[in-house]
Parts: sequence; C-alpha cells; structure tokens
Amino acid sequence: MRRPSRPRLSPAAVAMARRPEPGRLAQEAAALAGAVRGALGPRGGRALLVRPTGQALLTRDGRCLLEALSLEPPTARMMAACACSHRAATGDGAKTFVLLLAGLLHGLRAAAGGGLRRALRAFEARVLERAVARGLRGHLLSVLAGRRAEAGGLEALLEAYLGGRLGPGERRRLARLCCEYCRRCDPGAAAVPRPRVLRLLGRRFAELHAAVAGLPVESSRVLPGLVLRRDFAAYCPAGGELRAVLVTEPLRPPLSAPGGEFAVGSEGQYGASRRWVERRTEDVMKRLRSGNVKLLLSSVKQEEVVIYYAKLHGVSVVECLSSEEVALVREITGVAPYAPFGDNARGEIADAAAATFCRPLLLGSKRCAHIGFTGLRAFRPHCLLLCGPVDSVNEQHAAALQGAFTMLQQLFKTVDRREECKGEGESQNEASEVCSWHPSAARQQLVIENISCNGDHVSERQLKAHRDETETQIVDPGLQGSENPARVQTDSQIPSNPVSHAKEFSVATEGIGSSGGVQKPHAKGEQPSGVHESCKSDSLVDSQKNYSTAVRAARNANAVTACECLDVGKDLEETSCNIVPCKCEKSCVSIAQNYSSSLIEAGSVLPVGGYFEILLHYYIRYYAKQFQQSEVTFVSNVVADALLSIPKSLYRTTEQNSFTKFYLKAVDALRKNQPLPMNEKGLESVYCKYQLVISVLHCATELLSIDLIIGIKRPLKKIEDYDSEDDF
Amino acid sequence: MSRLEAKKPPLFISEPLTRDTVSQSLSLLSGILKSCYGPAGRLKHLHNGMGGYVCTTSQSSAILSHLSVSHPVLRVLMASVQNHISRFSDCGLFTAILCCSLIENFKSLNVASCTVIKISKHLLSLCMDYLKSEACGCRVSVDFSSVETLLCLVRSILTSKPACMLNKPEVDHLTMLILKAFMFTVPYCVETNAVLGKCVIVPVKGRRVVDSRVLPGLLIETPEIQLAEPLTVKRTCSNMIKIALFSVSMSGDLFNPEEGTIAVHHGISLEMSELNQLLNVGKQLINDEVGLVVCQKVMHPSLKQYLKENHVITVDRAGLSLVEPMSRMTGSKPIASIHSLSPGCYGSLKDVCIESFASKHFVHLIPNDTVVCSMILCNRNETAWDELKRICETAEHVLQLTIKEPLALLGGGCTETHLASYIRHKSYSLSTSSFKEIDCSQTQYQLVADGFCRSLESVACSLNHDDGEVLTDMFYGHCWFVPSGFSSVSNWSDVVSKCGCGINGNTENLKWRLLQGQFGCPIAQGCPKEPSVKVADFLTLDCFAAKCNGLQVALETANLILDLSYVIEDQN
Repeated sequence: MRRPSRPRLSPAAVAMARRPEPGRLAQEAAALAGAVRGALGPRGGRALLVRPTGQALLTRDGRCLLEALSLEPPTARMMAACACSHRAATGDGAKTFVLLLAGLLHGLRAAAGGGLRRALRAFEARVLERAVARGLRGHLLSVLAGRRAEAGGLEALLEAYLGGRLGPGERRRLARLCCEYCRRCDPGAAAVPRPRVLRLLGRRFAELHAAVAGLPVESSRVLPGLVLRRDFAAYCPAGGELRAVLVTEPLRPPLSAPGGEFAVGSEGQYGASRRWVERRTEDVMKRLRSGNVKLLLSSVKQEEVVIYYAKLHGVSVVECLSSEEVALVREITGVAPYAPFGDNARGEIADAAAATFCRPLLLGSKRCAHIGFTGLRAFRPHCLLLCGPVDSVNEQHAAALQGAFTMLQQLFKTVDRREECKGEGESQNEASEVCSWHPSAARQQLVIENISCNGDHVSERQLKAHRDETETQIVDPGLQGSENPARVQTDSQIPSNPVSHAKEFSVATEGIGSSGGVQKPHAKGEQPSGVHESCKSDSLVDSQKNYSTAVRAARNANAVTACECLDVGKDLEETSCNIVPCKCEKSCVSIAQNYSSSLIEAGSVLPVGGYFEILLHYYIRYYAKQFQQSEVTFVSNVVADALLSIPKSLYRTTEQNSFTKFYLKAVDALRKNQPLPMNEKGLESVYCKYQLVISVLHCATELLSIDLIIGIKRPLKKIEDYDSEDDF
Repeated sequence: MSRLEAKKPPLFISEPLTRDTVSQSLSLLSGILKSCYGPAGRLKHLHNGMGGYVCTTSQSSAILSHLSVSHPVLRVLMASVQNHISRFSDCGLFTAILCCSLIENFKSLNVASCTVIKISKHLLSLCMDYLKSEACGCRVSVDFSSVETLLCLVRSILTSKPACMLNKPEVDHLTMLILKAFMFTVPYCVETNAVLGKCVIVPVKGRRVVDSRVLPGLLIETPEIQLAEPLTVKRTCSNMIKIALFSVSMSGDLFNPEEGTIAVHHGISLEMSELNQLLNVGKQLINDEVGLVVCQKVMHPSLKQYLKENHVITVDRAGLSLVEPMSRMTGSKPIASIHSLSPGCYGSLKDVCIESFASKHFVHLIPNDTVVCSMILCNRNETAWDELKRICETAEHVLQLTIKEPLALLGGGCTETHLASYIRHKSYSLSTSSFKEIDCSQTQYQLVADGFCRSLESVACSLNHDDGEVLTDMFYGHCWFVPSGFSSVSNWSDVVSKCGCGINGNTENLKWRLLQGQFGCPIAQGCPKEPSVKVADFLTLDCFAAKCNGLQVALETANLILDLSYVIEDQN
C-alpha cells in the first residue's frame, strides 16, 4: 500500500530488505488481536490512553487503540492502517477486522505463494458471494421496511453499536438518548433518519453537541435549537419569534481602509470623521432593529462601540464564532452573511434566519448562547447535551455517537450483484483500457466468461495447462452450469494497488490470448458484438429466464454436493451438509424468486452476538463442498474458521463453554431449518459486516502478495491521507 | 525538524486495577481524604519544599488542586471529583471517599466487572428514586419562610471546615452574615425567569472574624478620596442620583490605530481634539443632571476636575469585575462611546456615601433594589482568610442550589447509613425478573449490594477520627458515634445521646449494630423509618443537590475505573 514507487536500490537498501514470512505475519496479527481483544464486544473494557502531554483519553475504539500502540513493524502498521481505513469508511469494526485478519493469517501461515493468492480471489468470487446470496440472504431482517421498522429497530442498532464502545452502565441511556435525538432532528423519518440528515449529523456533530463534566451521565438530554459555545457579548432579553443575522466582518467602518491613508486636515475634520464612523455603526444597528433582527452572530470580534449600540437598540450579539459554527448556522438556516456596507446597504435585510428564542444557557460554569433556530426543510436543529463525570467520558460518548451516525449511513447502502456491473465492466474492456473500475474484477469476469462459453469445448486438461497464466481456478464442467446464472464476481468496493492489478490484468489477458485458437475470440473480449450482447441477454433482457436457470442450477448444485458429502461425511460440519440440501434447495428457490439486483439490500440487519459469523461460517463450509479443488476448499475452511474466532472472543469472559453451546444450538437450528435461537436484542448492519469480510480478505491478499520489505532512508510521500477520512 | 531522541514504545498495562501500585496509591489517597472529613477532620499542611506559599486546609477543593498524582487511573478519579466540586462546591470529600471505597469494595468481589457495573447502576437508580420520592426518610424540606433550616444548613457547612478555626460566636456571626448576604441577592419581584444577584466579597485581612459585615450595594475602593470632605451629591428631582457608567477609556488617548494609516498635518493635535470631545461629554453629563460618573478605565484629570467643579462625583479604575454587577444594580448601560450619549444609558442610585474599614476607603453605592451586596470578610491572616473565602463561596452556592430545589439531606453520616439500610432491605425483596433484566444471579446481586452498602457506611465511619465506635440503629438507620473510651460497654444506649444529624435522641429502645463489624449484619426488619420529629434546632444538614450528584458521580467514576482493561501510556 505504501510501497515506494521507485526505490533506489543501493547495496545498503538491499541489505535492509527482507522477505516477509507468513508465520511472522500471523504472529504480528495475533499480537494485535491480543491487544484489542479485551475491548471487544459488550463485555469488553475500556482503555485509558495517556498522551505524552499527560492528557488522558478513555476509549474503546479500535482505531484509537491501534494508533496508541505506535507500532514498529511495517506489516503490522499496514494491518492497522487497513483496519483504520475500514473503520473510517463504515464507522465500525476495527477490532473485529484485526481479529478476523489474525484468524485468517493464522490459518494461512503454512501456505504461501501465488496459488494461495489466486485461491483467495477465487474463494471471494465463487464461494463467499454464493454463500451470501443463497445462504445468508434468507436470514436477513430489515430495519427499513416491514415489522422491524416500528419495533425499535433504530434503538436496537444503536444499543448494539454502543455496546461495543461504551461502558455497560451507559450504553442503554445513550442509545435511548441518541434515538430521541434522531427522532427530534428528523421528525418526518420513518424508523431511521434519512441519509441526508445522518450525513449532516455525522459531519457536524462536534458543533451539534455540548458537553458538561462533573454531572452524571443520567443528566444528558436533548435541547431544541443550537448551543453556541460563546457567551453573549450583549444580551437583550426578547420574547417570541426573532430574526438573526450572520456577519463576517467588523460592523464599525474603519477610519482608514487597510493600505489607504486618512489625511487629517483639521481638528474639526477629525472629530467629524469620528462621529461619522459612530453614526454609521449606529445606523447599522437601527436598520437591523427595524428589520426585527434581534440577534447578531459574528464570526469576528466586534468593537466595543458595536456592542454598545447593539445593547442600546435591543440587539443581542454573539461574537467570535468559529468557522465551523458559522458553517453550521449557514447550513441549517440557509442564510448568507449580511454585508452591512454592501450595495444594498439601505435595503431590506432579506437574509435573516428565523429563530423561536435566544437565551443564555449555563453549561457547567460556562455561559453559552442557546438559539432556537427553526431549521430548513426536514431538519430540525437540536443540540445533544452530554454529561459525564470527566471530560474524557464525554469525548468517548461523542466519538461513539459520531461513529454511530456513520454506521447508520451504511444501512442505506447495498451490495450489488454481478449482472448489472457486468455490462459496465465489459464495455470498459472493449475500450481496452485499464479501467478505473476494479481491474481484477473485470479480468476475472473475462476469464469466467471464457470458461462458461467454452464449457463444452475446452477440456479440463487444456485449462489446467494455462492455470498459471489465467489466474483463475478451474471448475469441473459439472459445476459450470451452476456457475452460470448466479455468476460471481469480486466486489469492487475496496481499492487496492492499481499498478499491480494493471500488470496482472495484462498478464491475464495475454495468457488467455495465447492459450489457443478456440479461446481467442472470447478471450480478447474486445469485439463489441459477441461478448457485450451475450452479457446483455444474461442480465437485462432475459432476466425471467435467469430465474428459472437459477432454480435449476441450485438444484443441480445441491445434487452434486449431496453426492459428495455422502462419500465423505465424517466430521460434524460435513455430516450437517448431508441434511441441509433438501432444506437449502427450498431456501434457494425462495431467494431466487425474490431475486433482486442487490446481494445485500439496504437496511439489512442481523441480531448481534456472532450470528453473522456463524451463518457465514456455515454457508461457506457448505458451498465450499461444491469445489473439488483443494486450494479453494482449504481457503474456505480457513475463512470459515477464522470467522468463528469473533464470536469466540465475544463469549470469552462469560462462563465456560458458553460459546460451544451457542454454536451447537445455532448450527442445529440451521440444519433443522428452524429459526435461530435469539438471546440478544441488538441488531447490526449486514452491509458493514460483509464489507468487513471483504476488506479483511483484500488486506490478507495484499499482505501475502508482498515478497520483499525494503527499508529506505527518506520518508515516504503520503499519497492518501487516512486521517482526513474520518472528517468527511 | 528532526527528532533527536528515538521514539519510545508505549507502556501497555493490561488489567491495571490488579496491579499493586494502583491499589497502594488508591488507599493512600483514600486515607488522606478520609482523615480530612467532617468537623473533627485533621488539617493538611500543603507546602512546597522550595518555600513560598503555605496552605492549611481540610477542604477537598484545595487539597485536590494541589496534590499531584502520578498514576493515570487516580488522575481520572481526581478530575472527576474536581469537576463535581466546580459544579456544586460542596460534598467533594464525600464524593472522593465514596468513590475510593466503592472501587476497593467492588474490586475485592469475585464478580465480573461488567456485571458489577450493571448491578451497581441498578442500586444507584434505587437510591436516586428513593431520595427523590416523598417517602424518603433522610431528607427534610427547606422552608424559605423561616430561617431555621437555612441556618442549620449554613452552620453545618461552616463547622465541617475546621481549618478556619472558628469559635462558636464566630460561626453564629458568619452564619447570619452569609444568610443575610444571600437574602440580598434574591430579587424583590420575581418574574418567570428570575436571576439571582451577586454577593461581592471584599477582603480585609488582619481583623477579627466578627468584624465582618454585609452591606447592600457595591463598594469601590478609592484610595484618593478624602474622608474629611463632606460628600455632596447632585440629585434629580425624584431624589435619585443619576449614574453614568463608562466602559470605554476616558483618558483622552488616541484611538487604536487601524490597518490603514492616518496622516496628520502639521500643527494639528489629535489629543486636543480628543480632550475637547471628552469635555463635551462632561458638559452633556452635567446637563443631564448626572451625579456620579464611574469609569471602568482611566479618566483624564482635566475631565475629573471639570466634573468635580460641577459637583459631580467621579470614580475611575473601577475594574471589569464591578461593571457587570453595577450595571445590574443601577440599571445603567455601560457606555462605550464618547461621541453619543443616549439618555437611556443612565442608571439610578438611592445614595452614595464613603465607608472605611481598617485602612481602606470605599465609595459605597446604595441601590434602590438590592440584588447586589458586598460582604466585607475579615480574618486574621492570609491562609485563614483564603479558607474562609472558599467556605463563604461554598455556602452561597449551596444556598443557591437549595433555592432551586428546596430540600436538604440529613448530615453527620445519617444519610449514608440510612441509605445503606434501605438498600440492604430493598436488595432482599427484589423480584427475580429484575435479576434477569440485569443478567445476573441473586447471589451476585447481594454481593454487590453489600459492597455498595459497606462503601456508604465507610463514608459515615470516616467522620469519626478518634478510636470510638460508630453504630447504626436498626429502626431509623441513623448513625451514632460513641465517644472514645467506651468501647467495651455492654449497653450502647448508655453512652450515646444523639444521632449524627441530631434529629433523633436516644429515647426509645433501639437495637444497635456496629458499623465497622463487617460480618453477620442482620437484615433490618423493614424499611428504615422516617424520624418522628421533623424539625429540631441545630440539625446537621447537607446540600441535597450536591450530595445526590456526588453519589452519582462517585459511582459512575468507580464504574469507569473498574471498567478499565488497559492503560496505554505514551512515554515520549
């Protein structure tokens, strides 16, 4: 990720270079996991981070923990960076990321090389998506539609989320508070606030909340309007509706402009000019007053004279607002700063914000200005007052709530299925350019296309010969049919090193191109007519047919696995597969019937407490059976086991064997096609979880692809600023 | 800039509470604070080895702000208590001792911290519901129509701070003064949004405490005023004194230079122009029948002379801190311009006179409406005065909190023991559904509840600094102190006469239990009862709001510290 683009290979540099060993990677990841495990989940504890300045920070946020460790080994730093960037994008999951990665690297420590990398990709493309599409989808709940929408879905989501970042005594109170806050800020929304409101809340939460130390958490509450953390420079009590004006320049006109010169010819002239200046200042106030403006918000410090005239004319003044506060006021009221000496100085004051009240508010020992702006459109501005015994608790709460708003935004995102993107990818291939769209996905798709079209012609032996070049794994013709309708592709959400992919891409196409005459027309994929049309018929036109194929394919696939499993059927998981097919077939049908373009729909949630991991574990195991290829099966098993490490850690502090009990109960229910045992009320977003698995797979692939670590003397230029991602 | 020193790896401590260093420093801190608690508390002498200022105190605010602790966990505790003190001024030691004691008691339980936190949170909600309910047996309502309870409240605060070395007449005198000063600050006519006035403390050191006084209005120190000169003030037709208050400098100095430049032709004096303008202002003030001109900053001597000749009293260098109360008291608006005077800016006063205390001379502004008063606070020396000032501020703050919520809690350890016996009783009568909701077993709940009650009782015990016993009765759940030397008495009823707060006398046949005896405490037969006599003289009372907040903050802080699994210390 942060590899130097062109390192100078002096002898010294070469001496500092070393090969990363998978065993070492696994150790580093395990050490990281050990460091964050104690803060994971609802039973986790907090960390007290002490800065060099002596300032204490309380946190359970994985990102802060990882940063505080100030890691030394470059590969560990890369793991932490990947975890943090995932956390920044989805608002959740840095600790889980590290745990899953540690589990994965531990499982893969023995294997290495290009084959493993390919197997990881193939796993993602074929097994994982299929497990989600055919298995997991059937269990998903939704907070955006259906019964859950009314039944406190938002509170369940928030409580589960805050359970991972706040102490056991505070999370319920804060989850309720946050729900109330959302409801009051966006009274029109159904269950979850609208994405636009969530974005605003997430972006401006620093100004939308106020903190008081020294009071119990119980005292936290939601206040209407906005609390500006400045005292009134002048306060004139005013009842009823009022208007507020925003200024960004001094209201007292200067005697001499910057750079200009004011020549004093006589004493009388000087006195007159001084009087004129004061009269102008007073005129501004008079004009504001006549426009029923009773509040002046200023981003700059105003002269005492201005305050004096404001008091005389009954205008309250708040000055020295921060640029963030000014931006927030502009955003929620839609007013532009008032220019008192502009062209329309004599005219009406059009751009004033309406407010219902404006009064001082004592927050702790600090007096603040509390202004009841009415808000624009659907957003009703409210201020969340956070109380806690110490400042660091309030900071922890504020950070957790800000993260919660980011997490809630993810609810509205979907993971798309292949077919739609395919046309896009294909057409970019036609242009024969390295597309900005994910190149590896495009490449794989090309290859799959190739295989499926030639399913009958190309013999297995032939394909095997080209395995290294084509970088896909080969499936036997029997499975090709099932591969076809629900064709899987890598998701393109996580950007990785474009350069390396571009190279691989070219290699891949070359490989296919040279693989023989039969393949050539397909492999090129540049011919607009053939490939493009076929993809269209696949996805858009003949979707009806696709459904039926999907059903048939599912049956097909099940039949195949059933045969396999009957042969092998030894350990627990494998025996379970014997029973599943009949049930699974049904569920597959149902999914195929409510087939939609997205793999994970917006608003999809699952109960917290390891359900996602156990379900995915179960279905990965199940679908991995369909592959005879050893490497993919190996990777699938490793991922499936690594997934279990998360619920294992969650149940770590409870009584003995509670994880095993829970696991067996869940798997038993799955086998019998019964509803899962639910003992947790909280919910979590499936989109975030799925993204987490994908990110971890990408991170692991990337880590395992590094063949040389080179120490250099000059600091690397930072290409991408990770820290800024949290502030969007 | 390159860093010279290599970066040190951070210090990673997991499970910090199990470390010896933490428990040792915690018990040390707890010991220091416990020894300060209450009227019989021991004083602490804080000094710097290099010499200089010495502080003798037993107040939490002074001790905590001067004490430096190295361990980050303790720093969290101290910050939390200091935040409480800055909000409520009172009950700092109570909060700190309770918090330390809760941590020590909960830590020794063999229950997962997350369960402890959930249970203790439930216990706290039981306490808070009880304290806020009408049935609460350890609170008294404060009647503002009579001064008895208020006097008890103020007196309890004064006596609980032994570092002032006040004797009984001094305590009585100060109690009256503080209450009087507070009464001055309550506005006469109450609208919906009443704001309390202000009491300005004027220091006079080296005099006796009984020389302290409270005066309505403001005192402005003016060294130059001659006492001999009779003060004649111009009055308006309605026998009021018109006052003009300037917040702008009237020294005649030039205007602040701005970004641009000002070119002055030869022979023109801008200072003259400014002074002329000032004299114009003076003329207008005289025309407007202003009798007193107060300036926050400096006044030009010529202007002063001019005004004096016209029988206008001038006071300058009043200082920023006096501008706000003066503006409030007189209804004047601080004038920030010497170019236009609006008649609406002037305020009015009832009278102005000259007062002198010790070697200081003051102009005394007497208002019509007394929401602002001045308290001349005297004490023998610097450190004792500082301590006394802190107490007066605490008492004023407590009275302000009490007027918002007219309740008080029984002091002298009785609230703590009463609450503990209430919780003991309640924790045995809890339904199984509540255990399920908290996700704990009944045994766990009882263990934590017992730890909670013992912590509360240990706060009551720390009021006792001699080797006497501390008892609680089984009927009211109040706290009783046995004088030292009677430890082997068979019948406790013979040696105790009054409970800690003074509300109950030893008249009935009460059953006793030793507080420090950890084991085999019998369960109270029922809910602890409310005392039959509601008001008695010389009760010990505590501020309701401060104590409730202290209880909540102490528990939340203890939970916070118990919840810590790591400390990561950056050592750079």
